[in-house]
Amino acid sequence: MDETVNNPSMKKSFGKSLLYALPMFLITFVFITGGKPDFSDPAGTLAILATFLGMNILYFLMHYTGKTDKFRAIIFIVFALSLSFTLIRNMLEIRHSMSFSQADIVECKIPFCHLVIPMMILPAAFTKSIIFPGTILGGFANISSMAVLWLVATLVLGRGFCSWGCFYGGWDDGFSRLRKKPVIKKISDYWRWMPFAVLLMVAITAALSLTPTYCSWICPFKAVTEFEQVTGMESAAKAGVFISLFLGLVVILPVLTRKRTQCSFLCPLGAMNSLSNKITPFTVKIDKKACNECFKCVDVCPLFALTPEDVKNGKVSIFCSKCGKCVDACSRKAIHYGIKGIPAGSMKKFSRNIFLFVSFLFIAVFSSGAIITVIKSIFNLFI
Amino acid sequence: MLDTFILGLSSGSTCLLTCGMVFFPYLMAGSAGTRKIISDLSFFLMTRLIVYFLLATLAWYFGKTIFTSAIFRNYISGILYILFAVMLIWYSVGRNRKPDCPAKIVTTVNNKKLVPVFLGVVNSLGFCPALLLILTKSATQGTITQSYLAFLGFFAGSSLYFLPLPLAGRFRKKKVFETVGTLATGLAGIIFIIKGFTNLIGGIING
Repeated sequence: MDETVNNPSMKKSFGKSLLYALPMFLITFVFITGGKPDFSDPAGTLAILATFLGMNILYFLMHYTGKTDKFRAIIFIVFALSLSFTLIRNMLEIRHSMSFSQADIVECKIPFCHLVIPMMILPAAFTKSIIFPGTILGGFANISSMAVLWLVATLVLGRGFCSWGCFYGGWDDGFSRLRKKPVIKKISDYWRWMPFAVLLMVAITAALSLTPTYCSWICPFKAVTEFEQVTGMESAAKAGVFISLFLGLVVILPVLTRKRTQCSFLCPLGAMNSLSNKITPFTVKIDKKACNECFKCVDVCPLFALTPEDVKNGKVSIFCSKCGKCVDACSRKAIHYGIKGIPAGSMKKFSRNIFLFVSFLFIAVFSSGAIITVIKSIFNLFI
Repeated sequence: MLDTFILGLSSGSTCLLTCGMVFFPYLMAGSAGTRKIISDLSFFLMTRLIVYFLLATLAWYFGKTIFTSAIFRNYISGILYILFAVMLIWYSVGRNRKPDCPAKIVTTVNNKKLVPVFLGVVNSLGFCPALLLILTKSATQGTITQSYLAFLGFFAGSSLYFLPLPLAGRFRKKKVFETVGTLATGLAGIIFIIKGFTNLIGGIING
């Protein structure tokens, strides 16, 4: 009998889990409070406390139960909803509307988001210009800090960014969990290459037209953030595209398929992150000796990252976002978090502990601000 | 020129997918060496360019003389854009489609020196939806220069894929490039559908 069958669980005792959660507890406390806790505002204090405790309880539970995905999903979904809420609130406060005008574009007042990055690279390399009407330094959601955050996260996590760092992935992740069983079961894995085609097209069109074409014409998340003011046929068509893609790929298809269809079939940043999976130290490994080829992991994977052939070959594809759904689903623990260079089937707990610490730290750092804002707003309604 | 370049860039891989199997043995020309391959490829691309310029002239001429009415320029061209773009999408992502290269006929040519030229002609005249879209665009252009530029954009975009053809055997991920290029062609089709609707709606609004 191999190690996985003898020791199938990633669970830890209460005390050991607490011990593993302690470094996260300290780091998130310092990060969230900025090292100088200010308790003068009751609503703000309660919001900080709720966020801090909520995050650390989730991290503790990951260790205590040995499960990853369901606890990750909670913070990931709350993050996406909170960010949209925060963005919309900011837009309403600053512009009194979710839409932006041509004057806002000219004055570079558009908040930057990481999805623009694939379009910026070619123009930045060839024309030394940033083709996004946002602020480069300082200000709300500025370009340089976002680009650096994304670069660090994607180098460390690879496509793990899409499940542990993305501001929007929680939307279709959330909707993909609403039904217990999928209505549409068979989707060819051929379509998982679509984000690369989108990446190719947006990179070319953005480089040739020197405009962020994905933001201007395609991004479904414009429907829940900010969009161009409808002033004519073209802006109306754009708004139509944003809303249709949001409803189709972020709401309806995830519900029907139980898959993250926007992330799987559209997002060009996801394609770039897939490529960075090649260099990240963290990966998901398949222990062929322990695997009985039940293909449950293939069924549950929300990003079409696993095919029966991948499982038979003992390799996950570059599309893996390390969400942990397949790891949790495998009854034999044949599929597990791993570190490159360490053979599949060995040092599973060590690899998982390291990966969880790093990836959770990213999502905690990215999400805490938006979550605190939302909780504070809720408290302000009642206090 | 931008949209035709993008169309050429996206559909070029489909050309390669459907015709590469025929081109490849000829362009490799056995143990002909780099000089022969470059020479054949140059003749092939030059022929394509000449044929495209001829098509551009014809399309512009017919656009100027026969299809002069506003109805053609707005309604018919809009409908043609949509029709050919839908064909392009089906052509590129239709999973059961059997790739069929118009250049298969080249296998009957005996004079091997003429093969690249012949290949260039049949490849250019393989009336795929992408070419039909460019013809529609050329026919609606104001000047012959604009018509040439439309075809030049398409030629430049689609030719890029042929340049590394002699090295194609060394690519390890050929299938991935084919798949991504094929899907990108479908996306280019969507751009032209939007263009078609813009023409149509513009025509309706402007009477």
